[in-house]
Amino acid sequence: MSQQTLFVQHFWKDSNRTLAYYLEQMQGYQSAKKALTSMTPDQVIEEVKKANLRGRGGAGFPMGMKWSFIPKASEKPKYLVCNADESEPGTCKDRQIMRYIPHVLIEGLVIGSFAIGCKHAYIYIRGEYVNEAKLLNEAIDEAYEKGYLGKNIFGSGFDLDITVHRGAGAYICGEETGLLNSLEGKRGEPRVKPPFPAVSGAFSCPTAVNNVESIANVPYVIRSGGEEFAKLGKIDKSGGTRLISLSGHVKKPGVYEIQAGSMTLRQIIDELGGGIVGDKKLKAVIPGGSSSPILNADEIDVVYDVEPLMKVGTMMGSAAIMVIHEDTDLVKLLLRITKFYAHESCGQCTPCREGCHWMESILHKILHGEARPTDLELLVDVAQNIGGKTLCALGDAAAGPVISFVKKFRPEFESYIKGQKKYA
Amino acid sequence: MPKCTIDGKEVEFTPGENLIKVAKRAGVEIPVFCYHPGLTVVAQCRMCYVEVEKMPKLQTACSTNAAEGMVVKTQSDPVVKGRAGTMEFLLLNHPLDCPICDKSGECDLQDNSYGFGSAEMRHSEERRTYVDVDMGPVIEKNMNRCIHCTRCIRFGDEIAGIHEMVAIQRGNNIDITTIDGDPLKTEYAGNYADICPTGSLTLRDFRFRKRAWMLKKTPTICEGCSKGCNMEIHHEGNVAYRCIPRENMEVNKYWMCDEGRFNYHYTQNETRIIAPRSGDTTIAWDQAIQILKDKIDGKKPTFLVGSDLTQEELTTIQEYVSAYHSGSSVYHFGTEGVFTTADDAPADKILKMKSKTSNLNGAEKLGIKPISEMKSSSEVVLVIRGGRADLAPALSHVKGKKLVGIGVFLEKEISSFSLVLPGLAFTEKDGTIVNHQGKEQKIKRALLPKNTQKALSEVLMLTANKKAKAGAL
Repeated sequence: MSQQTLFVQHFWKDSNRTLAYYLEQMQGYQSAKKALTSMTPDQVIEEVKKANLRGRGGAGFPMGMKWSFIPKASEKPKYLVCNADESEPGTCKDRQIMRYIPHVLIEGLVIGSFAIGCKHAYIYIRGEYVNEAKLLNEAIDEAYEKGYLGKNIFGSGFDLDITVHRGAGAYICGEETGLLNSLEGKRGEPRVKPPFPAVSGAFSCPTAVNNVESIANVPYVIRSGGEEFAKLGKIDKSGGTRLISLSGHVKKPGVYEIQAGSMTLRQIIDELGGGIVGDKKLKAVIPGGSSSPILNADEIDVVYDVEPLMKVGTMMGSAAIMVIHEDTDLVKLLLRITKFYAHESCGQCTPCREGCHWMESILHKILHGEARPTDLELLVDVAQNIGGKTLCALGDAAAGPVISFVKKFRPEFESYIKGQKKYA
Repeated sequence: MPKCTIDGKEVEFTPGENLIKVAKRAGVEIPVFCYHPGLTVVAQCRMCYVEVEKMPKLQTACSTNAAEGMVVKTQSDPVVKGRAGTMEFLLLNHPLDCPICDKSGECDLQDNSYGFGSAEMRHSEERRTYVDVDMGPVIEKNMNRCIHCTRCIRFGDEIAGIHEMVAIQRGNNIDITTIDGDPLKTEYAGNYADICPTGSLTLRDFRFRKRAWMLKKTPTICEGCSKGCNMEIHHEGNVAYRCIPRENMEVNKYWMCDEGRFNYHYTQNETRIIAPRSGDTTIAWDQAIQILKDKIDGKKPTFLVGSDLTQEELTTIQEYVSAYHSGSSVYHFGTEGVFTTADDAPADKILKMKSKTSNLNGAEKLGIKPISEMKSSSEVVLVIRGGRADLAPALSHVKGKKLVGIGVFLEKEISSFSLVLPGLAFTEKDGTIVNHQGKEQKIKRALLPKNTQKALSEVLMLTANKKAKAGAL
């Protein structure tokens, strides 16, 4: 089917990032004007709810619902924080929005801040996105100049400032409470929940934390109406389009956009990705960033969206698909993934601090032919002692791949342990 | 009151109480490491797992508040496996050097390992090791034993009011240390050792001196200031080895200061006077009492009494004075500049009070006047003191008088006394003291005095009964 897209047609051209382009080609700031001058905050939230706009960061939580949790009566300041710490391995979609159409994010923040009553929004951007932070700041300056930010926007009496805050390069600061701690200048360690950020977030004030892509969808929702946006989705409970970061052994890796639930994983790989590099056989797919449990080649006839993927025991996560062909050594791959999580563990809670490193050690031994026959069971048991037991989701992110890799590709691990295969 | 069910038992709770507290009331002990009732909840150690009906994952009891109708299991299979998993993780890098660790015998890690861990070890990798920093005179650090519970960090931030303990690095390399590796600055550093659930932070003062399980524990009150912190004296073989705070939510909560904690040392000082002294000569009690009797018989000596004495001792003095030295005046002394409870005030934002004696309030309640109201004294002055009241400023009021000391003195303190009768220190007697809040608290004898020391009541009784002017009969 031909896809209706909201973003990708504006990508890949540096000149698109100007305010002029945004105003001319993307009906820039019209939605913000509409929201601020003709709608109440409740109406905005209602539209977003109707839109079935799910969070694009990984958890897929309905965004309108998240906003409605912000207490209206609170006398404390409220904050809208944009999570631009895009760091799940394989994910590179938010980067394109910030790089090519930063104003759509800024407009989304204006509307979102109006909806929840925020006067100062933050964009927490990962430290490695040096250029993107610079571009965002330039775009924000432009917006201030034209009065789309600052005092009395569109004469509505609504004020908003936006600050871009650069992280220092930690995966865990993409976890929303770790992000908030980092934003406050503390160690990037997730907080114990409850209280949830909606009650006590940034600076102990009610806070909504939303992904870049989620916020970038808001102007369209307001412009076309929630129902129209919901209709873009071809599956229940998921509205709009999804940006997909397609990488690995496909002929055409890249960032694509599809209407939510409109394609299966196989179609994405074949039609968008152009099939497997070298026309090799597909071996496996990691469907939603490196933390999502792996699928083997015959499990990919699944509609690519939150719930269908959940049904097959994995997750959509940040919609980063990694395609793996037959020549790939999955033991090596799993070690690489596990190393990442062990390295990125913040170290505050026991199972993740100790367990991720232990899993890495065991995998290292397996790969180098030093493992005991019992080590594979041990590896899975350690993963199970981490999964579901940690303070934040990083433990699950580390345990999920280990459990699924061993479950689905056990012989590969065994051949290393038995000495039939040697590390090369 | 709302109710929830823990291991089949129905328990009432006040809203806001977490499951650890509620379970405790039901007689169910939930093992913890990072949780401490006096600190914020961080749910980091992942030891206090419980299963809560209708919740898919195990919950940490510390961060889960009881709710009406909640059904909690603390002994189910997932809970047992979860705890065992956490114990295994915690011991991966722990040196298991219990035989040479001071914490052994009172170590949460040891206890919980026995209770909930496994005797088998599945880990065969090299252990993580650290280079330790010098934490100053109070605390000895052994980072290899640390389980990263962050109680110390939170104690510094939330109780001691000083951000000096921090976590640096992350993940498996996380290190709990001081900022820039500096020595500790807080005057409450001993608490770091108390709250450490392993032997990572131990008291230098106690190091390698006694195994924890050999110690007898006597609950008593600190005599270091008018706060009256509740504490325990730990002793064995009639020797005190340490003092640790005892919970009292109305006074000191869970904490005490280093000054109070190490105060007991003077009572075991080698130069403490433990036999009667006349000038430089040690004399027998009979002779000493005679000298005293001869000095004061039929006269009106001035009594300077320390506000470090107990209510019982002060009352005995008052009764003795009215019976045998009617017209004598009695004044209390203790801390320079703090003469009355009106002068007393918190010395910091945590526990310490300005009055460095424990019973200023009690002395005042008994109607004893402060030394600041003394215009003149008689020729003979009896200075009776528990050991803590500050001598120098008091003695400056009675220069050139004949001084008799009764109570606890060190060698360096007795140069201006013609006679010293050794008494009992706060570790050696029972009694009542009244803290700055007006709260009466009991001190308890932990150690037996030497047979050359006498209680104040005995000294006064012997003096009263002694015939004057020996040989003049």
